[in-house]
Amino acid sequence: MELCQERRVVERPLVSVVDDDESVRESLPDLLGEFGFAARTFSSAEEFLASDCVDQTRCLILDIAMPGMSGPQLQQELKLSRREIPIVFITASREEAVRPQVLEQGAIECLFKPFSDTALLDAVNSALHSK
Amino acid sequence: MEVQSELASGEVRHLQRCINDLISLLGLPAIWRDGDPPQLLHSLLDALIRLLHLDLVSVSLTDEVDEAPVEIVRFAEQRTPMPSAHEICEALSECSKSDSRRWPPLLRNLMGEGDVSFVPLPLGLQGELGVIVAAARRTDFPRQTEALLLSVAANQASIALQGARLLSHQKRVASQLDQRVVQQTAELATANEELKLELAERRLLEEKLGQEEGELKRSEARKAAIVDSALDCILTIDHEGCITEFNPAAEHTFGYRRDEVLGMPLANVIIPLSLREKHREGFAHYLATEEARVLGKRIETTAVRADGSEFPVELAISRIKLEGPPAFTGYLRDITERKRAEQELRRSEAFLAEAQHLSRIGSFSWRVATDEIICSEQLYRIFQIDRDAQMTFELIGSRIHPEDLSKFQEHLERSRRDRSDVELEFRLQMPDGAIKYVHVAAHFRRDHGRLEYIGAVQDVTERRAFEEALSKARSELSQVARVTSLGVLTASIAHEVNQPLSGIVTNASTCLRMLGADPPNVDGARETARRTIRDGNRASEVISRLRSLYGKKDPTIESVDLNEAALEVLALSLSELQRNRIIVLQELADGLPRVAGDRVQLQQVVLNLLRNASDAMSTIDDRSRDLLIRTEPDRDDRVRLSVTDVGIGFEPQAVDKLFGAFYTTKTEGMGIGLSVSRSIIERHHGRLWATPNKGPGVTFSFSIPCRPQGLTSDDTPATHTPSVSDAA
Repeated sequence: MELCQERRVVERPLVSVVDDDESVRESLPDLLGEFGFAARTFSSAEEFLASDCVDQTRCLILDIAMPGMSGPQLQQELKLSRREIPIVFITASREEAVRPQVLEQGAIECLFKPFSDTALLDAVNSALHSK
Repeated sequence: MEVQSELASGEVRHLQRCINDLISLLGLPAIWRDGDPPQLLHSLLDALIRLLHLDLVSVSLTDEVDEAPVEIVRFAEQRTPMPSAHEICEALSECSKSDSRRWPPLLRNLMGEGDVSFVPLPLGLQGELGVIVAAARRTDFPRQTEALLLSVAANQASIALQGARLLSHQKRVASQLDQRVVQQTAELATANEELKLELAERRLLEEKLGQEEGELKRSEARKAAIVDSALDCILTIDHEGCITEFNPAAEHTFGYRRDEVLGMPLANVIIPLSLREKHREGFAHYLATEEARVLGKRIETTAVRADGSEFPVELAISRIKLEGPPAFTGYLRDITERKRAEQELRRSEAFLAEAQHLSRIGSFSWRVATDEIICSEQLYRIFQIDRDAQMTFELIGSRIHPEDLSKFQEHLERSRRDRSDVELEFRLQMPDGAIKYVHVAAHFRRDHGRLEYIGAVQDVTERRAFEEALSKARSELSQVARVTSLGVLTASIAHEVNQPLSGIVTNASTCLRMLGADPPNVDGARETARRTIRDGNRASEVISRLRSLYGKKDPTIESVDLNEAALEVLALSLSELQRNRIIVLQELADGLPRVAGDRVQLQQVVLNLLRNASDAMSTIDDRSRDLLIRTEPDRDDRVRLSVTDVGIGFEPQAVDKLFGAFYTTKTEGMGIGLSVSRSIIERHHGRLWATPNKGPGVTFSFSIPCRPQGLTSDDTPATHTPSVSDAA
C-alpha cells in the first residue's frame, strides 16, 4: 500500500502483473522497471482485487489460466464494478481461440509466452494511451 | 495467400479427424473379444453415430439357427413415441430399394419432411449376415471420407460377426458332443446289462431244457410251465411242418390263440407270403437230405402277425431228439426294438462323427493296463494318421512337436500314476511340417474294474491364430491410447514449457537492457542472468520428465516406488489440474513396499485416473473440487492406489459398461482410457475397480502385487494356458 503511494509520488505509471507463475512475477518487474514503469506483482486475481492498487493501476498484465479466478473472470469482474483498467493478457497456452475472445471483451492485447520485450513495451504503451 | 493456408489447414484438420475416426473404428474389434453380437453392434452403432454425426443408423442381422434376429436402431436425438426397432428396420429395408424421396410415413414422422440421404451397408460378402443403414439429413452425406469410414466399419463388423458366429457354433457343437458322449455311455451300459441278463436267462433255460429231455415223461408239467413262462416265443412243429406247440409269448407276439393254430402248417401262420416258398423248399430239402441251412444257428428274418403286419425276428431252430419222425422247436424273439435301437445308434454315431468333424474334436478311450487306445475317426484326421492303423502312443509321439514331446510324456506318466482328470495343450507337427495346436481333456473312470481314460482332443489351431491376432490388436490399441493421451497432454506440456521459456526471454531482455544502460547496471544484469539459468533448468526438467513418461517403447518390469511414480505424474498434470480448479489432496503411505511392474504403463493409468477425476468435477460449482490420491499397503502382499473425486459420479447400472472402451460420459474424447487402464493393470496381475462414494463422486482404485510375477506378454507363447484372459 505504501509502495503504491510512493510510486505515484514519482509519477511513474503503475503496471500491475497478475500471474501464478513465479518466473514471470520475478522477471517482469525488472523489465518494466527498465522501461520506466512502476510495477507490482500478484500471484492471483483475488490477491489483486484485495489490494488497494486497483485504482492506481494504469495497465494490468494478466495471466489467463490461473487457479481460482481466471484472467478473463477478473476482466469481467472489473467491468462489472466499472473499474475498466486497460488489460494486456499473457498466456502460456497455445489455444488460439482464446485471443479473439478476450480482445472482443475489450483487452488491449493478448501475448503468447514467451514474448519479446518490444512486443510487451508496445502493448503497455498502447494500454497507457488508450484513454 | 492466407485464405489458401486456411483452406489447407482446414483440410489437414479434416484429414486428421478422418484418421482419428479410422483408428477408432480399427480399434473396435479388440473390444469385441467376448463375441456377443448385440453388444458389439451396440458399440459399433454408438461409435458411428458419434463419429459421423448421423441422424439415424440401424442394423438388422439375418437370423441364425437358434438366435433371435437382431435389430438395433440409434437416433442422434431421442424420439417419442419410439416405434420398435423391428418396425424401423422393416421400413428402412423397403425404402432402401426405392427412391429416398418416397420416404415411408413411419420414417417421415420420425425424421421430418425433406430429403434424407442414406447408405445401406451389406454385412458379409453378399450381405448374407445382414445390413447396416446409415442416414443423415445433410445433403453432402456421405462424403468420400465418410463412405470410406462406413465401409471400414461394415468390414470390421462383418469379420467380428463371422468370428462370433463361428465361436458360438463351436460352443454349441461342443456341448452337443458332450451330451452325446454322456448319452452313449449310458446307452452302452444299459445294453451291456441287458446282454448279461439275456445270457443268464438263456443259460438257465438251456440247462432246464437239457434236464427235461432226459426226464421227459416225469416232467411234462414242469416243461409246460417253463414254455408257458418263457419270454421268447417257443413253437414246435412236426415232420409235416404243422404246429404242435405255441406258447403264451407266441400268442402274445403273433396275436393268435394257441387252439387256433395247433395243427396248422407253420408256413401259413407266421411266415410272410414272400418267404413261404423258400421255407417249404428248405423244409423239404432237410427232410430229404438232413442237410440243414438253419438248424442250430441264430438267424434274423421276418415274421407276420395275425393282423398281417410284418416285423423282424431272431430265430433259432433245433431238432427235437426223439424217436420217430423228426420234430423241431423254434425259439423266436421280436427284435423290432433292438433293430430300432441299432438304427438309432448308427444315426447317432453318424451325428457324432459329423459333429466331431465340424468342431474339430476327436474322442478317444485309453485302457491304462493294456495301453489299448480307441479313437474316433476325427482324431485320426487331426493326427493325420491312416484310419486302419492301430493307435499307439508311439504313433502319437511321432506326431507331437519335438519341443512338446517331453511335456506330453510327463503328463502321460502322471496320468498313469495319479489317475486324475487331465487337461493339457500341446503342438503337433504334421509330416508336411505344418504345426497344429491341440487341447486335450480326459476323464478318468473305472469300467467294471478296468481303469480307463475317456477324453476329447480339439484342434485349436484357428482359435490360437485368432487369439494371437486379438492380442496384437490389443497392444496396438494401447499404443493408440498412449498416443491419444499424449496428444491431450501436449497442450498441458506446452504450457509447462512456455512458462520457464517466458522467464528466460524476459530475463535475458532485461539483462541486455541493464548492460546497455549508462552506466551499466551490472548487479541487476547478474541477477537476471542467474534467473535465466534457473528458468532454463526448469524447462529442461519438464522435458526430462516428459521423456521418462513417453520415451520408452517396450514394457519392462522393474521395481517401482508407486509414491514416486504418482508424484511425477502429479507434477506433470498439476498445472492442468489447477486450471480446472482441482484441489489435490495426497495421502501417500510412508514406507510403501515397492511393486514389480512397468513404471511408464502404471503412470499412464495414474494419469488417466487423475484426468477422469478432474473431468468428472468440471461442472461442480457448489463444493470445492477435491481430488484425493491415496496409496496404502493392501492384503496379500499388494499395494493399492486410489483416486477419489467429488464429481458427478455414475449411475449404478453403468458400472459394467464403465470399463468398456468407447464408453464415456464426456462429450469429447474416445472414452478409451479406462478399458486400456484395466488391461494394463490386469497384465500386472492386478485389479482395477470403481466404487461410488458415500457422499458425491467415485473412487477408482487399483491393487497390484509387490512380488514380480512377470508381465502377461502381448505375444502369446506356446503354453497350455491361454494368455488372453477375459476381463469380467
